[in-house]
Amino acid sequence: MIGIVAGVVSMLLASRTGDDELPVAIKLFMQVFSIVVTVAHLVAAYGVFRGIRRARTVSLITNYLLFVVAAAALLHQLGAFTAIGKFGTGLNKAFLPFLVIVVGLLWVLVAGQLRAKNPLAPGPNGLRKAGWGLAALAGVWFVIASDPSGMLSTIADRITQPVTIGTLLVAVGAALATRFMWQRRVAVHFGTTAAEEQTLSGLAFLSPNLIGFMFFFAGPLLFSLVVSFFEWKTTGTGRSFVGIDNYVRALSLDVSSADAANAGNEVLKPGYQVLMHMDWFGQNWVLGARDVEFWLSLRNITIFLVLAVPASVLPALVLSSILASRLPGMRVFRAIYFVPSVAGVIGVAIIWGQLFQSTVGWINYLILRTGEILPFVDPPAEGHPWLSSNSTALLSMVVVFAWMNFGFNTVLYLAGHQSIPKELYEAADIDGANVWQVFRKITVPQLRNTTFYVLITTSILALQLFDIVWILSTPEPGGPNNATTTPVLALYEEAFQGNDQGYASALAWVLFLIIFGFTFAQFRQQKDGATSGGVS
Amino acid sequence: MSVKRKGPKATAIRVLTYVVLVAVAAIVIFPFVVAVSTSFKRPTDIFTYPPSLVPKQDVTVPADQVGTDGDPVPVFTFPGRDDRPGEWALVDADAPLAEFRPLDDLERIIVLDAAAGERTGATITIDGEEEDVFLVDDGGTQVEAYRSRLTSGGLFVSVDDPDTSVLDLVNFATPSKEFGPRFENFSEVLAERDPETNGKGVGRSLTNTVLVTILVVLGQIITSILGGYAFARVQFRGRSTVFLMYLGSVMIPFVVLIIPLFQLMLQLNWRDNLVALIIPFTFTAYGTFLMRQFFLGIPAEIEEAALLDGASRSTILWKVMVPLARPAIATLATFGFLYAWNSFFWPLVIINSGNPDNAVLSLTLSTLGGRSSTDTNLVFAGAILAMTPPILVFLFAQRYFVENSASSGLK
Amino acid sequence: MAAVTFTNITKRYKDGPKAVDDLNLQIADGEFMVLVGPSGCGKSTALRMIAGLEEISDGTLAIGERVVNDVPPGDRDIAMVFQNYALYPHMTVRQNIGFALEVAKVKKDEINRRVDDAAEMLGLTEYLDRLPKALSGGQRQRVAMGRAIVRSPQVFLMDEPLSNLDAKLRVQMRSDIIQLQARLGTTMVYVTHDQVEAMTMGHRVAVMRKGVLQQVAPPQELYLRPANLFVAAFIGSPAMNLVTADVTVEGDDVFCSFGGHRLRISPKALDRYPGLRGRHGTKVILGIRPEHFAMEEDLELPADQVLTFRCELAEAMGAEVHIHAVIDVAPPTVDGAPTTAEDDPEALVTGTKVIARVDGIHTVAMGQDVRLAVKTHLTHFFDPTSGEPLR
Repeated sequence: MIGIVAGVVSMLLASRTGDDELPVAIKLFMQVFSIVVTVAHLVAAYGVFRGIRRARTVSLITNYLLFVVAAAALLHQLGAFTAIGKFGTGLNKAFLPFLVIVVGLLWVLVAGQLRAKNPLAPGPNGLRKAGWGLAALAGVWFVIASDPSGMLSTIADRITQPVTIGTLLVAVGAALATRFMWQRRVAVHFGTTAAEEQTLSGLAFLSPNLIGFMFFFAGPLLFSLVVSFFEWKTTGTGRSFVGIDNYVRALSLDVSSADAANAGNEVLKPGYQVLMHMDWFGQNWVLGARDVEFWLSLRNITIFLVLAVPASVLPALVLSSILASRLPGMRVFRAIYFVPSVAGVIGVAIIWGQLFQSTVGWINYLILRTGEILPFVDPPAEGHPWLSSNSTALLSMVVVFAWMNFGFNTVLYLAGHQSIPKELYEAADIDGANVWQVFRKITVPQLRNTTFYVLITTSILALQLFDIVWILSTPEPGGPNNATTTPVLALYEEAFQGNDQGYASALAWVLFLIIFGFTFAQFRQQKDGATSGGVS
Repeated sequence: MSVKRKGPKATAIRVLTYVVLVAVAAIVIFPFVVAVSTSFKRPTDIFTYPPSLVPKQDVTVPADQVGTDGDPVPVFTFPGRDDRPGEWALVDADAPLAEFRPLDDLERIIVLDAAAGERTGATITIDGEEEDVFLVDDGGTQVEAYRSRLTSGGLFVSVDDPDTSVLDLVNFATPSKEFGPRFENFSEVLAERDPETNGKGVGRSLTNTVLVTILVVLGQIITSILGGYAFARVQFRGRSTVFLMYLGSVMIPFVVLIIPLFQLMLQLNWRDNLVALIIPFTFTAYGTFLMRQFFLGIPAEIEEAALLDGASRSTILWKVMVPLARPAIATLATFGFLYAWNSFFWPLVIINSGNPDNAVLSLTLSTLGGRSSTDTNLVFAGAILAMTPPILVFLFAQRYFVENSASSGLK
Repeated sequence: MAAVTFTNITKRYKDGPKAVDDLNLQIADGEFMVLVGPSGCGKSTALRMIAGLEEISDGTLAIGERVVNDVPPGDRDIAMVFQNYALYPHMTVRQNIGFALEVAKVKKDEINRRVDDAAEMLGLTEYLDRLPKALSGGQRQRVAMGRAIVRSPQVFLMDEPLSNLDAKLRVQMRSDIIQLQARLGTTMVYVTHDQVEAMTMGHRVAVMRKGVLQQVAPPQELYLRPANLFVAAFIGSPAMNLVTADVTVEGDDVFCSFGGHRLRISPKALDRYPGLRGRHGTKVILGIRPEHFAMEEDLELPADQVLTFRCELAEAMGAEVHIHAVIDVAPPTVDGAPTTAEDDPEALVTGTKVIARVDGIHTVAMGQDVRLAVKTHLTHFFDPTSGEPLR
């Protein structure tokens, strides 16, 4: 009976839709949600009253979702979310006590580990207590130092607003209703089966994950698709449905013949600009596109892909074969090679920027010195401007990319090596194969699957190149002269510097299709060519 | 390749192998070495040619040692000038001096004090200009010369013999350098943004990044444990469908989401706030898979035993499964840390570039070290600060994984 | 303490086959019930249904008076010992045993007291602070039992707990378990595939085959009066010898002929198997347990109840000698149960293998002819098609 009352109460509260402080989309969502919840509650109340089994499930789900939404709204009202961000200031002031807390907790953690191995030793237990004590003390210091007074006053302000109180009541009501319905005796009363109970419990566990997934991934994904069919201004309110125009604009190409070798836009259709000049069979042709930058980025990324992927994969293959042997020190090398992958793109790019510096950079210097030692290497008189020259800018980035990623790929390959049966090598040994033959005829074919995986992951990374370009390209991102523009960069500029997010969304989906298509093609190639090897 | 062979050929191969490995390792390590050295250099030191790996500072002597007062005086040498051996302290960099050219050898230059020389009264025409002839002291002898230039230069006092001094243009002398790391690079780069103190505000970004990373890692661990458990052990309707959805989500590159996520952040008023870097990333499909995989590997009977013992699913998860899942959680934490600490694209999109208070390390570094960068030494100090924690975390964690895989004791 | 009642219990898998088929079984309060049968017969499934770890497709399961079909395992007040012990690897023995009490929020001193009691009962006191990985198999098994005991449940469930132990330990643990159950008086449901365990441990034994209950009775009953061919062949070690024979009824005498042998059946057998009388001219399956043989000189029997065999193999076991012989008749087949000797059905010999147990004092050589008397008053008779006993 109480369940019915609670359900009805929540239902009434849920009918309030007067939130006028929230922006449009959220308001729409809340209104729709409130209607759905109200209807569901009516159904549930009716079912509960009549003792129908499914009613409990409906009631549970409805109340739970209501609780989640209400709690989220409540937190939003209280500014709890933005407060997390503002907490950065507090942390900044109180960083030292924070570090002490961390040390304390580390002690606890280490003690926990030691205890797991040997539950009775007094040392770890003492360490653990000391750790907690330290953390507690530092915690007090932390609170004092971080000065939460600003945050508290904001909360105090907002907590008294009627909307906030209303949301609070709804949240509490829904929570109580959920809790009540969840109880064992209610389940028995409704004759819930064990299977149903499991389903509910499974969904409950999954819910934080799933809700996050829906709200921050699936939702936005669909929204992105929808937006790509609109002309959607970032600022201002220009929003009009344009169908597939965005896609058409991105992909349109036009070819037309010209008289002169460097004809301009006039020979192309209106709206098109010159992309490149070609010379076929003695006749001048001009290739134009509506979005020249995008097509240039496609050209660039293709070149990049063709260069960077082998550069990241082949060394990994060779090195992993060496590292897979049981020679001493292999683990050390493996760890060293992996470090560039974890150091962080920005720092790495900055360092390489310095190395590539034309006058005082190490690369040019080393080339010079090598030229002195090895007679056939003929370095240019002055340092080559790696990053500001059209021809070598992209190449430089290939080097950085390969440097960063080969270690990671090596580790992937190493894992693949684990599954090559030793017997194959032993058989080859007996057959008298030399190192190179073993590598070619046994190692590489056996690593087929790993190679496939490595190629795919590296390609996907390469196709999304952005960070390195952003830092290293001069004089502006994508320079010089669009020699290093990448699709993601073009997308970013279109979305946040240009003003049309609809078009940018379309670009994003085009890029996605390219990546997907590429992966798919690789997949097919792998499948077609796969034969199971000679190991039973 | 696990058979150990003997013999000179095998040894040669082994040596060659190590050479190759070390060479590659050198290629990997070298940029970091450059970074570390640059982060300790003085600004002027960075753009020297040939580039050097060692941070240097100027050699100085205390002022009173060379007969003056004030700050320590920089020391120079005159390589190639045997008449000026040893070290010379630049006591005055703005000493007015004059260049005299002797009439019998117009190519030679005698550098003297600007007030030196006596006018003889005679004149001489050089390049159509009339110049006064002076009598100047040229190493003891008096010669006739005209004054070709008035400028300012350096007054050098010999360190060994403070009575001896020399006047010359400063750039004819080579500054003496010694090993001298400049630790202030780090304190400056960490200090709050202030054009006066040259603080760069990396300290604030550092704490912001710490905050974001910790919360993201915690969030990911919790949601992945819950989700992974649900997928692994709880039978519920539609489980495979949802799982397939998660599987598919891995294939979607992040780039497709930035625009709608951006809009969402605008709606929620989370733009330009660290929250936008945290909450959307507290769930992760990879993490969920990882935990699911691990939970699947724990024998079902342990859970059944716990169920029979009357434990609720929640109790089972936190009291039984999670303690056994330490290696997986550590892996998850490590990857989460690396991801959150190093992320750049999304922060770039969502945090206002004009707002230094809410920036994370990657953003601050990119502004500092980008196209319009000055103070390269500080930028590199910042870069070292940004790169050290993830490298340390990685090195620490990978040892931990290896250790722990053996000691699970599951039976 | 409570009774466990299966009423029309069926468990169906998604693709159709039934793991348990219409099981009706009543386990009395305080009884030691053994579920036995070959792999896949449904015994473990039935046990797990009691535990609540398997879903019941049809029928009702009651513990005591309570129908528990939809009651979660933790609420059924039962305890289970798993085949692999399922100890919590990261907890000490004390924590393992006390876990259920901890979950039930029992006070800490009470937990310690009960854990200490259980540990003492099982001889685990000195291991209380060790981790499972520091224990031997037998010790782990006892910890698993301790975990079950300490909760004082209404029913104990054991899923092949001894199968991972070596033979000597197994024998010892068997008697420990029997004594434990006798002492505690709790209802025990015990699953095993080993019929020796089944026979020695249970008050009653339920034989299952392909999800169907074949017979449930005290061990002796199963031995003396098997309900069908399968039970007859399953119980007893070495297994009962099954021979297809032709029946001749001459007045009051019944003769069975097989593979060149002719055996007169004692009238006492006909009291137990009256259906035999009407089987003149038909085939029956003769069930002679190895222990129903004796050397001619050890047993005074008329000559028409003595058979001559050529000894293919003689195993001297000490107290007895196992004589292996072959009868020149195709062996009958019984799915899933050994027919003669624990041998494979793909034996290259096309005859029926027979094993006889005789007193160990005799020395029998391979290839030697032996004259064996058959205690035909104890012989069993089955219909060759249905496997039903000819009662």
